[in-house]
Formats: sequence, structure tokens, C-alpha cells
Amino acid sequence: MTTDTINGKPRRLPGLKFGSMSEFGWVWIALVLVFAASAVLAPGTVRPGALLSMLPFAAMLAIVSAGQTVIIQQRGLDMSSGAIMTVSGLVVARVALETGSLPLALLATFAAAAAMGLVNGIAVSVFRITPIVATLATGAVYAGVARHVSNGNSISAPAALAEFVHLKIAGLPAILILSALVVALMAAVIRFTPLGRRFTAVGASPAAATAAGFPSMPYLVGTYAVGALYFALGGILFTGFINSATITAGNDYLLPSIAAVVVGGTPFTGGKGSVVASAVAAVFMTQLGQMVLAMGAGTPVQYLVQAAVIVLALAAPRLAKLARG
Amino acid sequence: MTGSATTTDALLLEGITKRFGPVTALDDVSLAIRQGEIHALVGENGAGKSTLMAVASGALVPEEGTVRFFGEALTGHPGETREKGLAIVRQEPSLMPDLTVAENIHVGLPARLRPGVGELSAFVRERLAFWREDHGIDPGARIESLLPEKRFIVEIVKAIASEPRLLILDEPTEHLSGRDVTRLFEVVRELAAKGCAVVYISHRIREVREIAERISVLRSGRQVGTRDAHHLDEDDIIALIVGRRVERPFPPKAGPGETGERIFELHGVSGPGFRDIVMRVDRGEIVGLAGIDGHGQRELMRALAGQKPVEGRINVAGRLVKIASPRDARRAGIRFVPGDRHREGLLPGLSVRENFSVRSIEKDTKGGVISMGAEKRRAREALGRLDVKMAGIEAPITSLSGGNAQKVILTSVMAGDPEVLLLDEPTQGVDVGARAEIYSVMRQAAREGMSQIVVSSDRGELVGLCDRVYVFSRGQIVAELSGDRVNDDAIAQAMMTATNTRAAAAEWGGRLARLGSSDWAPFLMLAAAILILGAVAGSVNPYFLTERSLTNLMAMTATLAMVAYGQHLLMLTGGIDLSVGPLMGLCAVTGSFFLSGDPWLVPSLGWASILVVAAMVGAVNFVLAGPLKLHPMVATLATYMAVQAVSLLLRPVPAGMTDFDILDILGHRFGPVPASFAVAVVAGILLDLALMRSGAGIRWRAFGSNGEAARVAGIRPMAMQAAAYIGCSVLTALAAIMMIEQVAIGDPRAGMGYTLTSIAAVVIGGTALRGGRGLFVGSLLGALFISLINSAATFLQLDPAWQNYLLGGLIILAVAFYSYSRSKAVSA
Repeated sequence: MTTDTINGKPRRLPGLKFGSMSEFGWVWIALVLVFAASAVLAPGTVRPGALLSMLPFAAMLAIVSAGQTVIIQQRGLDMSSGAIMTVSGLVVARVALETGSLPLALLATFAAAAAMGLVNGIAVSVFRITPIVATLATGAVYAGVARHVSNGNSISAPAALAEFVHLKIAGLPAILILSALVVALMAAVIRFTPLGRRFTAVGASPAAATAAGFPSMPYLVGTYAVGALYFALGGILFTGFINSATITAGNDYLLPSIAAVVVGGTPFTGGKGSVVASAVAAVFMTQLGQMVLAMGAGTPVQYLVQAAVIVLALAAPRLAKLARG
Repeated sequence: MTGSATTTDALLLEGITKRFGPVTALDDVSLAIRQGEIHALVGENGAGKSTLMAVASGALVPEEGTVRFFGEALTGHPGETREKGLAIVRQEPSLMPDLTVAENIHVGLPARLRPGVGELSAFVRERLAFWREDHGIDPGARIESLLPEKRFIVEIVKAIASEPRLLILDEPTEHLSGRDVTRLFEVVRELAAKGCAVVYISHRIREVREIAERISVLRSGRQVGTRDAHHLDEDDIIALIVGRRVERPFPPKAGPGETGERIFELHGVSGPGFRDIVMRVDRGEIVGLAGIDGHGQRELMRALAGQKPVEGRINVAGRLVKIASPRDARRAGIRFVPGDRHREGLLPGLSVRENFSVRSIEKDTKGGVISMGAEKRRAREALGRLDVKMAGIEAPITSLSGGNAQKVILTSVMAGDPEVLLLDEPTQGVDVGARAEIYSVMRQAAREGMSQIVVSSDRGELVGLCDRVYVFSRGQIVAELSGDRVNDDAIAQAMMTATNTRAAAAEWGGRLARLGSSDWAPFLMLAAAILILGAVAGSVNPYFLTERSLTNLMAMTATLAMVAYGQHLLMLTGGIDLSVGPLMGLCAVTGSFFLSGDPWLVPSLGWASILVVAAMVGAVNFVLAGPLKLHPMVATLATYMAVQAVSLLLRPVPAGMTDFDILDILGHRFGPVPASFAVAVVAGILLDLALMRSGAGIRWRAFGSNGEAARVAGIRPMAMQAAAYIGCSVLTALAAIMMIEQVAIGDPRAGMGYTLTSIAAVVIGGTALRGGRGLFVGSLLGALFISLINSAATFLQLDPAWQNYLLGGLIILAVAFYSYSRSKAVSA
């Protein structure tokens, strides 16, 4: 199946060692395993009620992780994603408070997020600043913006938003359905449209894409902007969920969202990637956290487990290779 | 030793078998290279030439067989052969772009021949002059600022300077101009006359016949034979290489009248490297651009592909077009097969199917949606027409050999139905069999009406393939040859006898850019910014300039500078450590268990445990990023979380006040200057001296600039990485000890901000993240500047948000400026 005849000798081709299983398939197995482990170790966390309260968190993390995934596919990283979430939560609450109009508030928030994403994209592609440095820097600036918008106080969320976030459709949280829709939309655009293919090509090799007539700059800038829109959606939903916009809202999402991308299997080398795998990994990470908490451990242990999962997810193929010799 | 009948062979390979998993790369190969002979090694791609030379150099250990180097069996220790007199000139020069010419030669020499750092410049000057008096290479210039052919000369000079007893040249003439090829042949003959054995690997059969005395041929990992070069003609050699006697690999050209109307016309077209170009290409015609490398033909092609600026009248199929970007070229119907396949052709990580379809995906799209079925059918059909060896269209493109990958790219570009196809070195690094196929595909497409322009440094290829040839010299067309006049002699004559002169090249960049690219630029700019900001803060609020405030500023700077040094040390090697912030906290927490003045606990035990804890964290980072090969950002992100977790487990809330006597010692001052600041300044200067003026420092930067080239030069990557990660953590621990003086309690969250500010200090100080260069004093100034922003914001009573704006904005501005300036100072 994976052999090719060259010079009359069978030759295995690299990259297809696991049969038809792609590198993005493992996270599904991990998901099944974590629910199985939960059922044994912390049965309380797999009861319907517990699942329904876990899923909104997973859904918000999935949206943010999807945004981070496309940026990582462009050999980037957005360390300002937490700050963009925070600013978005604050802007939607503040504009809604001052104008009384939720649609206007949403429009203003997405416009602000797109602007922040554009700045990131321009810093990375036009000024050619290493993504981690560029977005750490813009993240600092956006944290300043958050201070300005909030004046140091939290703002209560618009009632309509809070209501939507807590809505259930057919017994499922609306937020979960929305999350599945936006993740599926992104996956479909990447896979089934020319735009998505060119986006993937630019991520795989900006120089080759340029030589083929697709200069990388607009794709890079666009990717950071789209990523920021997803962070904004996460920030808006989180504000609705906790019923208030705070200055620290996004901080807790930065590392877990990157972790979800890593666990999902999207490499940092560009090109390949899967937003669906990242979203599944977000569910996995959230349930893992619930399980650890239910077993009586505190937040520090949760951090430790997350760190261990990241290392395992990345090092496993390497360790397996070493073990095989 | 010489002269007698029993002369020891320089290199004796006997019964070498080398397998990679199930693949047998070399099968019972024996080869003897005599002292003083020039021995050519030829064969198709994948025939095993490079593997054989890797075995000969000790870089690979064969499963069976012995390697004798001047009679001694190799033990398999890499670097052993280098010390014993082996030098290799690689097709891709193994040089460090951020190091100077002189430093590169220093790193590349065997230890016994390395001159002291003080005499290095004179040593290198002399070696360069030996190559050619008018070499025009400054020993103090960075490699990245040199043109490719100059870099290659440095690679050759480096090899000769190592006084080799065995010299291996791998495709040495690919990058050289005619004059330097002549010089290379002279030097190689001189070396051989002195008894040095030379192995000459090349695709160019003509060159091989000119230089070599004996020729060995490898085919599919087997030795086909060693022959006397003078008894073989070109066809014989080709026959040995491919194993069957091939006819001329070129398909018949178009006869007169077979080509159609004008498709592509250039009038007075100029750009960087070429000017006043007038040429045309008819429908179905293959036109060659000949000339010595660097005379404008490739520059013109890249400009027509939209990769370089171009002006003048360009007509495609009767329409006047403007080409300002690759997209414009694409829309005008011009498509490009790039010469650097790995960098500009392949999409690594993606499948053969995706690599094929991406350039013409609109053909599989209906209503904005791609039909996967249509895409697969089209890929199978197009690739099936050529004999592409692959495991299927879903195989990763990187699993294909060079020739097969080139076929995929060519097919992919052609699938876009260009009016004009530009091909840069269409068969470079492609074996003879695949070459013939590529030629026939090109000719077939021409017959179907596709106009093509070919740039090739292989004159024989242009002669055999092209209907017409334009000859370039010094950026202009000096001859147009067609029909029978498309022959080797006519092209060579036009190239050699041109009397035109080159237009003076425009100087790059402006004064500002040149300033920005110098090593001193960050210091000058930072110093100016520090003085201005300090003056403003001092004039608005006089308290800013009091002793107390300045002492405090220096203490903050010292702490930040020490973390930044750690980050800097690591960034020089191309790494990054996000875990430094939480590590500061963990060090403070660790110390808090020992430093509270409790008589049971000894402070020195506290200092020791802080250092041990930090070294352990560094070791974990190293294991993750080194042996386990995790991306340093992700690896240290994981330790970031883990270290923070451990701190929180040890001290859920801040506790453990530090003893006042200890605080007094830590806070010692010389007048207004805190001891910690003095330590930071002295440490920065010492680190810089070590970095710039010692062999170890040069090797450190060499590793950061080009890890693979450094490995080849005998630098051990794992040792360097271990030192970098552990060094970073230990310096962070020293910073944490300075921080204890300021926080005085075991706070698990103390120091979190240092992750961002340490990276900021280093990059504002002018160090590039990709490694290889940057001075510690720059990071010290960066640290001072950041501390100044934070305290000035307080003294100026700015909204706290302004601290964020200033910090973030200045990082962006500084890095953008440096990277802009440097990109202007880099040669292609």
C-alpha cells in the first residue's frame, strides 16, 4: 500500500506510516479516551447536567482555537488573542450600554477586532516582524486599549446577549451550535474553495506561492484579521456567559487555545492544519480539566496536566520513532 | 610516501553497503582514490553519490565494508576525517550568513590550523588573494551581504585553506562565473600536482571530461566501473550513467514556419540588472536566454514573473500589460517555473495532488466550490502523461525525488494554460532520464502553441532545446541567434566578445537604511531615545532626577537586564524561552523557604537550591526542544504552565518574608549605584567580549546563524542547545535573586511580566530572533529603556494604559526598522 518500486526494490515512502489515519485523527481517539477515563475516575463529570455545563466552555475555547489554528497554519502565532478577546468583550458591553443597541455593539466589536487583526497582519507581513514578538507587542497595546475602554471597571453584559448565550436549542446550548457552525464554515472554506487552497499554499511556502502568482501578503493580513474575528466572537460569548465584561477575560484563553491547536495536531511549520481537530481538542482539554477538578485537584494541577498533554501530544510521535529505533 | 609503486590510496572504500530502512542506498561499492589524482564521480540523482561521500567523510556509518583514509580505518567519529585532512565543497555552501567571511573561515578550519582571533583578518586576506587578486571580497563583510557566486568562492577558499589531503567538490561550478571556473580548474590541478586527491562530483559531463583523469560511475547504488577519462566520449559516459545508450535527449525543434504569430514582445524593457531589452517570442516557440550568470538574463526572467520591478512596453498576445507583482504576471498569462525548486517550487507538507492543482484550481471549481473528484481526475491524468514515480497522488510531495518533483511542478504550471511560460533552469539537479522527458513535454507544449522562455546555465541545453537564443552580456542583449546559428560556438563567441559596458549599479537603500543595518544602530537609537525620554520626564517632574528615583531605576534595569541576557543567550542560537517569567516566581518561592532567617535554614543552601531548580527547568526545556525536537515556543509554553503550577502548589499565596540582613546584602549600593546594576553592566560587557573575541563566541554565533553548517563544521548541536537553555535559566535565577530584594516574599506570581519584557529588551536591543547576531550591551540598553518607560510613565502621571502603548509601539517600531534596514543590506 505504501510501497513503490524503484530499482526493483520495495521502498517505503515516509509520511504514510499509520495507514490511512491522518495526523489529525488521533485527537478523536484522545477524546474518546478522556470520556472513558472520566466515566471511571469521575463519573459525576459525564452526567448530562455536567456535560451541558462543560460544553459552553468547550465551545468558546473551540472558537478561539479555530482562530489560532489558521494563524498557526500561516507559520504565525497570535499572542495578542487574549487581549483581543478582552477588548471585544469590553467594547460590546460598553457600546451596548451607551447606545442601547446590541446589533450596533456587535458591529462595532467586529470592526474593532478586524482592525486589531489587520494591525497584527501588517506588523507580521509588511514589517516582517517575527509573529511572536509582533503579537506580544500588539497584545501589550491592546491591553492598554482595554484599560481605556473599561476605565478600570467591569461593565455588565447586554441583557439580550446574556439571554442568547444561555439559550438552549433542542436541549443543546445555543453557544455550542454556533461554535460548531463557525468552525465548520472555516473548515469548509479552507478545504473546498480556491481561496482556501491558496491560503494553504501560502502557509506551506510563501515563496512558492509568490512564484505561482499568489503573493503572500494579502493572505497573511487576511488570516490575522479572520483570526481576530473569531477571538472577538469568543470574547463576546464569554462576556454574555459570565454576564460581565472584565479586563482579564481573555487571559485564561491564550495558553489553552494554543494548547488545543497543538493537541489537535496542527504543526507550527505551516501549510497543513485542521480547525476541526483543534475544536475537538478544545472539547478534550475542557473535559480533561473538569475531570481533574472533580478528582479534587486544584487549578495548579490542572495547569500541570495541560502542560503534560501538550508535551505528550507533540513528543509521542518522536518517542515512538525512538522506540522503534 | 609518494612516487613508489605501493603508494597508499588517499581514500579506499571496500565493499560498502549502506541501507536506510528497507532502502539499499549503496550496494557493495568499492572505490579507490589515488593520491594526486582528480577523480570524477558521476551518476543520476539518487545513484548514491552523496551517500557515498557521506560515508567517506565519516558522517554516515555503513552497515558493511571498510573506509580507509590514507591507510587508516575510520572509527566512525564525525569530524575525525576533517582533522585528518578532508575538505568538502558542498553544492549549497555550508556558511553562516550572520558571520563575516573571516569568521566563517575560522569556524570551517580544523582546530590545528585556526589562527588566533587577532590574526584572523590578515590570514583570510592572504587566502582570498591566493584565489584571485581582484576577488572583491571584504573579510569583514557578512556572508549574507555577498552575491551567491562570491559565497561559493568563500566556500572554496575555506576548503583550500584547510590544506586538504583529500578534497571533495560536489557540483562546484553551478554557481561560478566562467572566470572563476577557470581559476577553480587551475587550483584543483595545482593541488593535485602537490599530491592532494580530488573527488569531483558533477552533472556536467563536459567539465568532467576536461578536468578528470579517471571517472567512476554509480548507478542505483552500485559501482558500474572506473574508467580512464580520456578513453570515453560524452555518449559513452551518458550510456554508463543511465545504463542504456540514449540518443540525443532533445526532441526535434520546430521547423521554419511552424511557429505562429507574435505572442510576447518587449520594447525598451529595463530593470535592476538589465536594460533596453527588445525581444519577441512567437506562438509555439522556445526561446533561450544565454549568458554568464549575473549578466541580466535571470534578472529579466524574474522581473517578467513579477518578482522584481520592471519598466518598458510589454505585450502579451497583442495586449499591453503592466507587471508590478507576481499577480499581474499571472493575470497577463505569464507563468513561471522557478529555478530554486525547494524554496519556490514545492509546497512541502502537502500532497502531490495539492501541489499539482493549486496553480489552476479554478478549473475544478463550480459555483465557488472545488469538486474533489474533478481535481483528482485532472491530477491523475496530467501526471500520468509523464512517468512520475510516486506512491499515488496523495503521497507527500517531499517523498518524491528531485526529477519527479520537478515534473510535478512543470505539469502544474503548464496546467494553468499560460500564453508565455518562463522556465528558470528547468532541469537543474534532474537526472538524465527525467531531463529527456522534461524536454519532450516542453516541446510538445510548444507544438500545441505555448510560447516558452528558458534560462539555463547549461549551454548544451539551450543549444539542444531552443529555436532561438538571445545572448546577454552586462544586462543587455548582444546577439540573437536562430536556426543553425543556435550552436555552442556562436553562443560562446557572442558572450565572450561583447564590448558593451554595464550601467553603474544603483546603490542600495538610503543613508538611514545603511545606518540601521550597522551593528551600532540599535545602540545609537536607544541611547538617543533614553536621553530624550529621561530629559522630558526630568523637566516635567524634577523628582524623576533625584538619587532615589535613579537608584530605583537602576535596580529595576539590573533585574530585567539579567533575564534579558538569558533570553539573549538563547535567542542567539535561534531559541526562545517563554518560561522565564514563571521561573522568576519559582525561584522567589524556592528562596522563600530558606531565606526567612530561620536558624534551621542556611541562606547559602537557599541560593544553591534556587540555582539547582533553575538549572533543572533549563534542562527540561532543553530535553523538550533538543532531543524531543519540540518547537521551542511550544516547549517553553508547556514549561511555562508547569513551572507556574509548581510555584502555586508550593506557595498558594505569597508567604515567607526574606530576612532583613539578607535584603541588606542584596541591596548593597556603591553611592547611588546598586551593586546589582554594577553586576549587570560588567556581565554584559564580559559576555560581549566572549561573544565577539573568542573562538567559543564565534562558534556560538555560528551555531545560531546556521545550525546545519555548524554541525558540519564539527560543532555539537546538542551541547550548544543544552548550554543555551540551561544558561538562560541560570541567568534568570540570578535575575530572580536581584528581584528578591524588591519583592522580599515568596510570591508565586512575581516575575510573570518578565517573559514579555525580557523578549522586548532583547529585540529592542537589536538582536534578531532567528539567531546568530546581537550584542548583550544592546539588551542592557533595551532593559534600561523599558524600565525608563515604566518609571517615566509614573512620573509623568500618564494613564497606565500609556505604559502599554509605549512598550508595544516601540517594540514594533524598533523591530520593523531594524528588519527593514537589514533586508536592504542583504544580497539575494
